[in-house]
Amino acid sequence: MSWLAPALEWQSRAVVARHLRVYLRNWHTAFLPPAVEPVTMLVAFGVGLGGYVASLTWQGRPIEYMTYVAPGLLAYATFMTAIFQSLFAAFIRMRYQRTWEGQLTTQVALPHVIWGEVLWAGLLSTMYVAIVATVLAVLHAAGLLDLQVARLPVVLPIVFVAGCAFAALGLCFTALVPTIDHMNLPVFLLVLPMGLLSSTYFPLEHPWLVGLNLINPLHHLAELFRGILIGGPVMWHLAGVAILSALMLGILVPLDLRLLRRRVLGD
Amino acid sequence: MSVLLDARSLVKHLGGRRVVDGVDLVCESGQIVGLLGPNGAGKTTTLRMLYGFLHADDGRIHVDGVELGRDLVRAKRSIGVCTQDDTFDGDFTVEQNLTIAASYFRPRPTDLTRRVAELLERFELGPYAREKPETLSGGYRRRLMIARALVHRPRLLFLDEPTTGLDPQARMGVWDLVDGLRAEGLGLILTTHYMDEAERLSDTVTVLARGRVVARGTAKTVLGDLVGEHVVVVGAGSGAAVAAWLTARGRGAPASVLGAWHVPLSGEELADFARAFPSLRYEVRGPTLDDLFLKLALAP
Repeated sequence: MSWLAPALEWQSRAVVARHLRVYLRNWHTAFLPPAVEPVTMLVAFGVGLGGYVASLTWQGRPIEYMTYVAPGLLAYATFMTAIFQSLFAAFIRMRYQRTWEGQLTTQVALPHVIWGEVLWAGLLSTMYVAIVATVLAVLHAAGLLDLQVARLPVVLPIVFVAGCAFAALGLCFTALVPTIDHMNLPVFLLVLPMGLLSSTYFPLEHPWLVGLNLINPLHHLAELFRGILIGGPVMWHLAGVAILSALMLGILVPLDLRLLRRRVLGD
Repeated sequence: MSVLLDARSLVKHLGGRRVVDGVDLVCESGQIVGLLGPNGAGKTTTLRMLYGFLHADDGRIHVDGVELGRDLVRAKRSIGVCTQDDTFDGDFTVEQNLTIAASYFRPRPTDLTRRVAELLERFELGPYAREKPETLSGGYRRRLMIARALVHRPRLLFLDEPTTGLDPQARMGVWDLVDGLRAEGLGLILTTHYMDEAERLSDTVTVLARGRVVARGTAKTVLGDLVGEHVVVVGAGSGAAVAAWLTARGRGAPASVLGAWHVPLSGEELADFARAFPSLRYEVRGPTLDDLFLKLALAP
């Protein structure tokens, strides 16, 4: 488990603290998107699409479409926040700002930089989802959604772990793509298909997609959040999130380290 | 004087090539060691191994008595690094760059507020403390890079081409600062392409070529040994006779720059040359690092 040890060392926390300090300095612009996004999504999908699909069947019982979408929003926010942070923001820090190189001249080593990015993406996802969850709670209080809002805090530690796993995936592409323009490849070939075909916004019943979603952590995350917030079975999807997150972290972080060692250090 | 850096038999392969091949380097407190060599000589790779950026494939590095390979974190506490390119944190102001750099060290630098104020004053960065680094001129950016490398009070400082791209005034400002650091007992490893810089600052220079140490000593001695005491600059158009004269002495073709030959000669050879070509127009000058790098680049 030597790949995991740097995650627990002070240098990784120092890197996270640096990113947090930058984020909090721009809090007014940083907090606005996650607060506005769920409202926009709920208006677009809930009111717009929901006008055509007033209710649907989930776990054998009818639920309002808006209620179905709301937990999916939390899962989608986790995924997109972590993946975009580890793709674009990390790439900019590595390539253009050369923040990593500056950090590497200190007692911070490359595993700390990588874990710092992973943990930061997990933390940022958690903060974003906390804001989205607050908006959902307000909409619930307004009678627009029917969620078990007292359970909302339960999703946050799950978001953190899943966000870290998604960040480990994003960093692989950060290590591989030659320029920021090439980010279109992972975004259109992986991120969007993974996001849209994961039952975050609508249920997928085609047998192929159901089969594919067995290995899509975002699908398990969305269904887990539905189970928690709407009321339904959670163990299968909790196991799915836990196992896939552990596999992603256990396989992709060492891979990230190997790829980034070559890219950043030339070693 | 205590030994702050003791590197022995360093070897590094990159891309299947042996880019550093048995390099030794020692630096004591209050000493500036110049690490010189043409592009591709292995300077940067050597430097990166010395400050723990790259692992050496073979050899040992001790920093302030701590073996780098055994306790990298402790060894790096004694090291300050000013990279050739600006790597300050563009998300922060000049002052914040110093505090954020300090956060990457344990034990934390004591009395940080005073230390930052002291560095801002010493490096004349006070008026720009709340500015973003990218608004600074080249000279002040270099000052910030060096100040940042010193925030945790290291004992050994690596300066990778600290004055490249600076105007003469800014260069001399950096020299004064570097000289002051030596006087305080820091050990400094300096890479540079400027002969005047190497001569003025370095107590001793180590010259690398193709990954190996080819000379060591004071800048003047090294140049004299490797290049010659004098360099005769003669138009290449009048060169047939000169070429024959050189061939007769077992010398190959000299470096040709902008239509002129630059012929390194010892004092005795210069006297012979003057006797052999009494009516030839030529210029005699002292050897420079350019001559050394050209010679190393042309060497088989």
